[in-house]
Amino acid sequence: MARDELQPQDGSPDRFLSRRQWLAALGVTGTAALAGCSNGNGTGNDGTETQTTERGNYGGDTPTDTPRDELPPVSGTYRPARGSEVTTLNPLYNTENTAGGIIDYTMDSTFTFAPGTEVFPLALDLQSDDNEVWVATVRDGLEFSDPYGSLTAEDYVYLISEVHQPKTFSTSDSSNFGSDVNVTQNSEMEFQIELPEVSPLYPETYDPLINPAPKDLIQPYVEDEDDEGMRQDEVLNNLEYTGNLGPYTLDTWERSNRIILTRNEDYYLKDVEGIDRIFQGAPYFEQIESKVIPEQSSRLAAFEKGEIDAVGVPPEQVQKFQNLEETKVVQQPTPYNSVCTYNFRNNGWSAGPGNLFRKQKVRQGLACAVNKADLIEGVYRGYGTPEYTWQPEWSQFYPEDDSGIPKYGSGDLYGPEPTQSRIKEGISDTDYGYDGDGRLLNPSGQQCELTIYCSANGQTNQTFAQFIAREFEENAGIVVNVEPIQTAQFDTNYLKQPETDDETEWSAGAYNRGGWEQTSDNTWDLSVNYGLNTYPLNPATAETFFIKDGSINYYGYQPDWDAAGLFSDASNAETLDELKSVTKEIFENVATAQPMGMFLFGVDTPGYAADIQGPVPNFFSGWDFSAWYRGEN
Amino acid sequence: MATDKSSRFDNVDWEAVTADSGRALSTNLLGTLLCVVPLIALLVYDFVALGQYEDTFAFVGIGYDVTQLDWLFALSLILFVFYALLPLYQNPRITRYYWREFKRNRPAVVSLAFLTFVFVVGLLGPIFISQPEIDLVTQYQPPIGMSVQNTYPVQCLGEVTSGASGQLCHGSLAHPLGTDSRGRDILVMLIYGMQVTVKIAFITSLIVITIGTAVGTVAAYSGGMIDEVLMRYVDVQQSFPTFIAYLLILYAYGGGLFLFIVLFGTFAWEGTARYVRSNALTKSEDEFMKSAELTGASTYHIITRHLIPNTASSIITILTLLVPGFILAEAQLAFLGLGDPTAPSWGQLLSTGRDALPYAPWITLMPGFLIFLTILAFNFLGDAVLDALNPEAQAESE
Amino acid sequence: MGLEWYIARRVAWAFVVTFIIISVTWGLLAASPNPQVSNAVRSAAMNGDDPAEAREIQKKRLGLDEPLTKRYVDYMVSVYTLNWGWSQTRSQPVTEAVMNGLYYTVQYSIPWTILVILISPLIGIYSAANQYSWKDHAATGFAFFGYAIPNFFFGIILLLIFGLQLGWIPITYNTDVGVFSLANARQLAIPIFVLVTGSIGGTMRVARNESAEFINADFVKTALAKGVSPFRIYARHIMRPTMVPLSTTVVGQLLALFTGASLLVEVVFSIPGLGRLLFRSILAQDTSIVLGTSLFFVFIATIGNLIQDLVYTVLDPRISFSDR
Repeated sequence: MARDELQPQDGSPDRFLSRRQWLAALGVTGTAALAGCSNGNGTGNDGTETQTTERGNYGGDTPTDTPRDELPPVSGTYRPARGSEVTTLNPLYNTENTAGGIIDYTMDSTFTFAPGTEVFPLALDLQSDDNEVWVATVRDGLEFSDPYGSLTAEDYVYLISEVHQPKTFSTSDSSNFGSDVNVTQNSEMEFQIELPEVSPLYPETYDPLINPAPKDLIQPYVEDEDDEGMRQDEVLNNLEYTGNLGPYTLDTWERSNRIILTRNEDYYLKDVEGIDRIFQGAPYFEQIESKVIPEQSSRLAAFEKGEIDAVGVPPEQVQKFQNLEETKVVQQPTPYNSVCTYNFRNNGWSAGPGNLFRKQKVRQGLACAVNKADLIEGVYRGYGTPEYTWQPEWSQFYPEDDSGIPKYGSGDLYGPEPTQSRIKEGISDTDYGYDGDGRLLNPSGQQCELTIYCSANGQTNQTFAQFIAREFEENAGIVVNVEPIQTAQFDTNYLKQPETDDETEWSAGAYNRGGWEQTSDNTWDLSVNYGLNTYPLNPATAETFFIKDGSINYYGYQPDWDAAGLFSDASNAETLDELKSVTKEIFENVATAQPMGMFLFGVDTPGYAADIQGPVPNFFSGWDFSAWYRGEN
Repeated sequence: MATDKSSRFDNVDWEAVTADSGRALSTNLLGTLLCVVPLIALLVYDFVALGQYEDTFAFVGIGYDVTQLDWLFALSLILFVFYALLPLYQNPRITRYYWREFKRNRPAVVSLAFLTFVFVVGLLGPIFISQPEIDLVTQYQPPIGMSVQNTYPVQCLGEVTSGASGQLCHGSLAHPLGTDSRGRDILVMLIYGMQVTVKIAFITSLIVITIGTAVGTVAAYSGGMIDEVLMRYVDVQQSFPTFIAYLLILYAYGGGLFLFIVLFGTFAWEGTARYVRSNALTKSEDEFMKSAELTGASTYHIITRHLIPNTASSIITILTLLVPGFILAEAQLAFLGLGDPTAPSWGQLLSTGRDALPYAPWITLMPGFLIFLTILAFNFLGDAVLDALNPEAQAESE
Repeated sequence: MGLEWYIARRVAWAFVVTFIIISVTWGLLAASPNPQVSNAVRSAAMNGDDPAEAREIQKKRLGLDEPLTKRYVDYMVSVYTLNWGWSQTRSQPVTEAVMNGLYYTVQYSIPWTILVILISPLIGIYSAANQYSWKDHAATGFAFFGYAIPNFFFGIILLLIFGLQLGWIPITYNTDVGVFSLANARQLAIPIFVLVTGSIGGTMRVARNESAEFINADFVKTALAKGVSPFRIYARHIMRPTMVPLSTTVVGQLLALFTGASLLVEVVFSIPGLGRLLFRSILAQDTSIVLGTSLFFVFIATIGNLIQDLVYTVLDPRISFSDR
């Protein structure tokens, strides 16, 4: 459960710790969302340069072995800090990114992605001939702690088929393995995952990324069908079984204060051949001390004083920490965009009769009303890249030739003229109209007035909403009121539609119970409460946002292009090139249709002590955490 | 109230009493009624005739929608005028006496001047000054006389000089107290914050006085079971950790400023109730009360004419301690991120600025010091009121 | 009848008060929507599963499918048997969480309480002895300053000055130093200072006003005339009667601060104590911890009130306890 389509924009500060979290963002089909969220956005450098020079790098280059004479020395403590506590460290139940990062310190996952979207096998090697049956080979020499013995294929198969698949257990990975997935053991160290349909990007869906658990440990709970018992199990919660599976082992977990991990002498990866020599001495810290410091100003002050080594840096302070000698800031793109969703349902567009959001020309007009460059500069301090369609430009799926993607909100496609001419075209068959002062009037002659909802806790998010409101008023002649609201409250009262006994055309869950007549309890027009995942590694997953019965389609978008067909082509594509040509078409359609206001891709700006070697400025930073070390500045 | 003391007043001529209280329709009550009736009419009009999103004063062309809070605020202002200011005017001799006593305490005079300033500016300022505008370009402008690293403001409106550690942006007249992280003018924000503060002070006082005196007198005059139950309830409420109660309720039910203020008021009247009760019990033993009873005055008359004026001084003292507590509680809740994000209160401004404290301290310091000064002023004032209204204590202590 | 009977009645009443408060708290939380259930429903909705079914499963898991009365009775029983349940958001038993938090809260609460009890009457009496002199005004100014400045605001400023600018104290709280070590004293000095200045104000004013009455009282004049030393006069003849009304304010003040200001101070100074535990669990709507922690605060408040009443009777022999 959990992790990823939506990202509440309410500004919690933990964004940099985990390798898992990057993977988490890759797109879990059909899992539910709400990950550890982030301050959203921030990176880029100071301004325009980002978009041109760094764009390719955000995807990263495939790593090459660095020639080195000697391995770095093992030394010191790595001390990251975060703003909130972790809920659980039980790897089977954890749904949080921060905790996922801690768990990853103690236990390697199935595999990871190195820069360039290169699969780097860890515990498992996943191969397939036909993209339907995936054969997983467990690496030799993986040991649990005593008394649980070696990690074998049996542990995986048991875990998947007896815990994740049955409905009895509410583990976080249950949704990764639907009942139509067949998992069978082939030999001691090999098992296969048989998918219901071809999926060439199966690893990129992140579904097969799971943490192992010894069969002997979980068997009693499985036999008793004791979900709660397994959740509370001390061995699982204290990660006491991790053996040689990870670079560090959990030492102490002081709930509201800190987590201490110590170096694992026996880490298996250092004996693996054929990988970068740096792993031979891994890991390189004696200890990790991950602290909880709730106040942002205290966290940053501690970082400045060198009491901690890594922290999320808000956009305004990036330059300061970049300039300091002892610290550095690394810019990393996120797959989340900042969007403004329009409510297409019958309780949207409160400014008058009808719902103008349903008119493509009006939406295109609104897209011309907001200056993306100014938005990024003013609200996000330049740490962001403009978004024109559902894919960041560094992704390999972003079309080489993007002439089919209109660049609304920049250059000629920004300002009152392009905005109003398009809207006028859209409203030509209605009684709406512009007056001499460029104000959009509804049929009863009053200026159109809408409400935009934003997060009550996220300052940046509120400012973002305010920026859109002002641009809409100036360029589109629509008055927009900004209304901050708690995310959970918005979710329950504005997005979810109440259950109905009537037969509906379709039902994709509480967020989308059917056509436009299915509305939530409260009216809303515009919302920036959530950032949405664009799935740069596996864009076919984005289906859920655009088809009319997509489970996240709370805004009630009904495409007038063949979204369902194209996405189905995408998921059935057999080669990468075929996939790319389908996604190109999707992205062009999305850019033209403007199903929501798409504004920018966030860039994260984690700060590190200058002598920490390892963080890289691309999407995949952290994939090789066990090889991070403390070196020269 | 009028039913259960017949045992004690069995010899009272009820008709005379009724006539008596009818005669007692004083200027104060008359004035209050004259103001409250139109207020209620307007309220009814707002709820019945107008839709949820229409502005109350649209018929005279004022685009302002009156909120629930404003209704309560208006009511408390009316009561303040007729039951606090008017009596002072009506009794010039006593007023002069109080003023003479009060004047000797110089910090208190300064405090009173400061609070009056906050009151007047908070009441009138928002009418003449429009809401602070968000302008990202002008974020983090320092106040006059201060400077900030030029990397923080997007555009510096003042003078830019180069200092030892890079370029410095100086404050300018455009924003004399600087701007916050969204480019809003701090001075304007502070003025809007004053209004919120004034609202908190007045409405909570209204609630505390109303519930407190009602419960206190009812308990004192009913006695027996009712007294026991009411006072035991007061005990419980006193034991309940108030701040925790706020947290629980605000989180469970979401919090706007209106709920805040109502909560503050409804969880704070127990001290007043206790005091009024014990005072009523003591005073009823006093000679003048007894003589009032003997002359056939009704309980209502005794309560309004003798008991409440006699406890007024203590209630005022209690309020001068309670009100700053509310202002502080609002700031604390805002600091914890549980405040009303739409209310332009000082606490809210303080909490938005705290992340920027190391480089833009004025955003936090300005509202912080205003909160500090206001609470301080209330304390000095309370101290002085205590001395002035309680000549016995002073005579004893001198 | 007599002192024992009074104490017994008083303790019984304290018990009733806690009972009522716990019930109210439980009711408040039971009436608000449970976030874990909403999350499960959301997940199910996004998976395309049936949200209604997910809600039922989750409710069952949390025991929310039982009738309200049964849940209430179960809860009250487990409260008084110290079986406070398991915290979903911390993955540990609630009692353990409360004990962990208490360990850190006690470390600053005890010195703070002792300091307030020692310092405030002294300053108050000193102020009264020098009434209306500059010394009195200075003491009053100090008291008012501490009372008026918001604790968390003061804390942040001191942390910035002494932690960041001067580097005298660590910015983050370290749990691996000994309780009685110098390092611990150093990191707790500022929080304690902030709390003490915050709580001295009220009590000091009461001490001043009360003792002012006694300084001019006849028995003090008599004692002076008899040649009793000033120290003895202040200690015996003034301090003792002052302490009676003072005891009520001290307890009340400390309790109010304990539940309000200490929470904020813990957040500001990142002390992993009870206040932060409560605050975080309210945000996470971890019902078992919220109840457990408030329960603890309620216990403290009732015990505090109890002690206050008892001290009152002991200090002031004039009060008769039999007719209460």
